[in-house]
Amino acid sequence: MARFDYLEPHSVDEALGMLEKHGTAARLVAGSTDFLVRWRTGFWRPEVVVCMQHVPGLDRIDFNDDDGLSIGAMVTVQDIEQSDTVRARYPALAAGATAFAGVQVRNLATVVGNICNASPAGDTLPALLAHDAQCRIVSSSGERWLPLTEVFVGPGQTALAAGEIMTELRLPTPAPNSGGLYIKHSPRGAMDISAVGVASVVSIGPDGAFSSVRIALGAVAPTPMRAPGAEGRLVGQPPTDQNIAEAARLAAQAARPIADVRSGAEYRREIAQVLTERTLRHAAATAVGGATDFEDIRRLAVQTAW
Amino acid sequence: MTTQFKVLERNHPRVDAYDKVTGRATYASDVYLPGMLACKLLPSTRNHARIVRLDTSKAASHPGVRCVITGTDFPDIRFGSGALRDRYIMPREVVNFVGEPIAAVAADDEATALEAIELIEVEYEDLPSVVNPLSAMGTGAATVHPELEDYEGYGFTLGHNVSTLLDADRGDVDQAFKDADAVVEDVYRSQGINQGFLEPMACVADVEPNGRLVVYASTQGPYQIRASLAGVLEIPVSRIRVVAMELGGGFGAKLRLTFEAFPALLAMKTGRPVKLVNTREEVFTMNGPRLPVTNYIRSGVMRDGTIVAREAYTIFDVGAYLGAGPNSGIGHGIGAYRVPNYRLRSYGVYTNKIYVGSYRASGVADMTFAVESHMDRIAHELGLDPYDLRVKNALREGDVSVSGAVVPTNGLMETLEAIKEKIDWPRDLEDGHGLGLALCEWRSGSGPSTAAISVNDDGTVSLLTGSVDISGSDTSLAAIAAEALGIPMEKVVVAKRDTDLAPYTGQSGGSRIVYSQGTAVQRAAEDIVQKLMALAADRLGVPEDALGCEDGRVYVMDNEPQGLTFTQLAAASITSRGGPIIGTASLSSMPYTPVFAAQAAEVKVDRETGQVRVLRYIQAQDVGTAINPMAVEGQLDGGVVQGIGRALTEDQQFDPETGAVRNPSFASYLMPLAMDLPESEIVLINVPAPDGPFGARAVAEPPGFGPPAAIANAVYDAVGVRVKELPLSGERVLAALNGQNADIDFDVEALRRAEGIAAD
Ligand SMILES: Cc1cc2nc3c(=O)[nH]c(=O)nc-3n(C[C@H](O)[C@H](O)[C@H](O)COP(=O)(O)OP(=O)(O)OC[C@H]3O[C@@H](n4cnc5c(N)ncnc54)[C@H](O)[C@@H]3O)c2cc1C
Repeated sequence: MARFDYLEPHSVDEALGMLEKHGTAARLVAGSTDFLVRWRTGFWRPEVVVCMQHVPGLDRIDFNDDDGLSIGAMVTVQDIEQSDTVRARYPALAAGATAFAGVQVRNLATVVGNICNASPAGDTLPALLAHDAQCRIVSSSGERWLPLTEVFVGPGQTALAAGEIMTELRLPTPAPNSGGLYIKHSPRGAMDISAVGVASVVSIGPDGAFSSVRIALGAVAPTPMRAPGAEGRLVGQPPTDQNIAEAARLAAQAARPIADVRSGAEYRREIAQVLTERTLRHAAATAVGGATDFEDIRRLAVQTAW
Repeated sequence: MTTQFKVLERNHPRVDAYDKVTGRATYASDVYLPGMLACKLLPSTRNHARIVRLDTSKAASHPGVRCVITGTDFPDIRFGSGALRDRYIMPREVVNFVGEPIAAVAADDEATALEAIELIEVEYEDLPSVVNPLSAMGTGAATVHPELEDYEGYGFTLGHNVSTLLDADRGDVDQAFKDADAVVEDVYRSQGINQGFLEPMACVADVEPNGRLVVYASTQGPYQIRASLAGVLEIPVSRIRVVAMELGGGFGAKLRLTFEAFPALLAMKTGRPVKLVNTREEVFTMNGPRLPVTNYIRSGVMRDGTIVAREAYTIFDVGAYLGAGPNSGIGHGIGAYRVPNYRLRSYGVYTNKIYVGSYRASGVADMTFAVESHMDRIAHELGLDPYDLRVKNALREGDVSVSGAVVPTNGLMETLEAIKEKIDWPRDLEDGHGLGLALCEWRSGSGPSTAAISVNDDGTVSLLTGSVDISGSDTSLAAIAAEALGIPMEKVVVAKRDTDLAPYTGQSGGSRIVYSQGTAVQRAAEDIVQKLMALAADRLGVPEDALGCEDGRVYVMDNEPQGLTFTQLAAASITSRGGPIIGTASLSSMPYTPVFAAQAAEVKVDRETGQVRVLRYIQAQDVGTAINPMAVEGQLDGGVVQGIGRALTEDQQFDPETGAVRNPSFASYLMPLAMDLPESEIVLINVPAPDGPFGARAVAEPPGFGPPAAIANAVYDAVGVRVKELPLSGERVLAALNGQNADIDFDVEALRRAEGIAAD
């Protein structure tokens, strides 16, 4: 519980200035849900904390058909979970948000913070990958856009340089006849960290075959990961049980799980396969059959024992 | 519920509910005294090592630090929490587990104390260590306590790491096994369990101007920690006062001294109050949890299901010290059944990990998991219905229990019948669903109990007991006093406990407060009634035997309008010839009164992930007279929730090399939450106990025993796999479904040989 100075910038520029001035002694925080835990254990010992709570304009969720969904850096997981647009058009992300912690934590935790914390088990991350998120990153020298797939470089490590701030996410508008789901597997039904999490987002073309497939796995590798082999296996193929099962097997093969207190490595791989299969089936069914009621999504996302 | 009682068998909200809900109740961490210092502890990073150098000079000279202590600042006296004096309050030379506190700092505030902790320099010389209890029993394993045989309390020699051995034998076991139609043999293992109470250990120590030590503690046993403090600090009991603050949960973890001695010594050295509030991580890594238990169990059975022989060897890992015990588990090796021939053994084995503590009938839940899973195994081997097998072998009134006491009247059969009906057993279920049963037994807790009740001149009474309320017992004790005195509950004021004020009493644990302490309260109230009758006779000018007493009024039987109310008598007593009225009672122990509970689970098993969901959980328990039914149900709910946690997700894990706790937080030690639980379904069976206040039995321990076995049995019923190790995680159940659950190795022959029992 080391002491630190607490700064409250009122604009992104002011925040960038503070980060530049204090360099590695500074820690940027949004909801502080990860920060507080690590500070208390002494894992993080910043001399200066720069809190973005009072920077205006970062808490917006916007959607239009051309640009897709825009999520500001201070948008909370609860904002996402409650958003009708997200529930209707980005069901996998809504599922990831509802599977995340409990309401109190969701009210503080930001989606961008979940990304920047870069835990392999972050619950919004597979869905953000499966919805093809792009990240806007600013620094005192300008701004750049990076696909989310390139943000994660290791457990707790991102491609952001010191002094950079992620200010916004963009998720493209899903094609017509799309469906998606995220399922979290954890020993406990609520308030638990994922042992495995899988998101699948698919589109079905006029021919009834998969026109696009994105599968993302959480907690089975050093970073959240896409499963391109499994995706490639399905594109252009009809959503048969056999095709889906085969893709799920490929996804599980691509995983590089570890053993820890939550789960053994092999079990993680087995679960990754089961969840890939379940999310793909649901995604394919809802892509043609229409969206599921959100209460069903909530149940599917977290329910132990199907 | 129709009832013969005026106060009992009715629901009463807890007398302290309002204070707790509004945040007014004061806990130890709410105590703020002028000039108070904050205490922090330095944990050992090794599980068996000699402390070569412990340099506190930098810490001591850090600004804001007032005092630093280490093991050698305490008198050179061994102390013990269990049967042996096997430890120092703070190690002097050798550490025995990762997390063991080796130094304490008092500073102006917590942040400064923490900074000082980091400035303490330690050098260790590692010693060979052992973490697995089964290896620890073998030859060649490292010795945890080389001086074991010198410890006060040690009574035998049976292998270098065995701290205690309990045994119970009856009949000719080996012959009975030979005569049996079939023999069923199993090994079960249950996991480390944390008590999971809300309020971490906390205390404030202060030295009064006259030099007496005052400790404001979060404890279940104020008199017990007073005695231990006197021992480790080498000061007389009379120089110590312990004030038991509101308790935010203990479940056995706060029965004995935890860390009160550190702020106490720091307060004595600095002359200032010192507060220690432990962190959750310290709860997990410093204060004794339950440790893994391995149970070998073998039964000889006849074709009709009669159990004729039982052999059980239980290995309790006790960690670095016997923080509790030996365990009460021994008699539970036969469960709630009549078994004519048995050989039961229970070993406590030292290892280099955190010491074992108590938790809601320590060891019995582990034994019940083994015995009740094994009952289903017997039923399946013989092709019998598990319910019928239990009925056939269940204890009946007049049977002799393992303790030698005769089983008195009880409601065991009624509990079985109640769950059979409620869960509709047997029943066809959809795929992946299953039903399972478990029968639980416990005895009503006993031990020294005292009560003093004084009558106030406004017609209220003040009830003084030394027992800490961990379960709503203050409310139940008030109800007992009100019933016996014929006055409403609101007229009973329950005093807070303080070793200077209340008479000595045993700890709050083992389901003993309402049963034993309640009996003392009832007798103290009866003492008052007697004195009031004498006073009334005096005032009304009639002989005592001409008086009747009802509804808080004493009257002349021949002339009912002539009488005095309780309030009138109370007022009169203050100036009466006999003086103000107090009633007192004390007792040392109570007769054997069993408690039985039958439980049933309905589960759903996910065949692809192995995860288990409990859809329904039913418990029927013979509670005797339900003093306060809503409090009884609260205890039953809480117990089953803890039991479901034990069955499915809770698992305090230890590093196999260092014994360090791998998951010292609620983020990784997973207790069940509302979403993981079914609705509570409770049937109260009320067969009054022959003893106990107004026929009440103990209540709180048995509910938690059943879920691991009931759920394991239901999983077997659902998907046909038997999991013998807890918790029943998805991973374990899936492995079993994939045919990968190997039996647990256990060399029972070696144990038999050690005792000179021939192999059969
Ligand atoms: C009780 C509890 C339960 C939890 N349960 C879950 C769960 O179920 N699932 C899950 O995924 N997570 C869970 N978490 C973790 C945590 O809540 C999430 O990771 C959360 O999304 C982090 O967001 P935040 O705004 O609180 O981040 P902060 O703690 O403020 O920051 C986290 C990290 O991100 C950096 N950062 C934040 N914003 C930016 C930015 N705009 N630009 C650059 N860097 C930034 C910070 O510097 C810091 O390194 C839980 C945490 C707690 C305490």
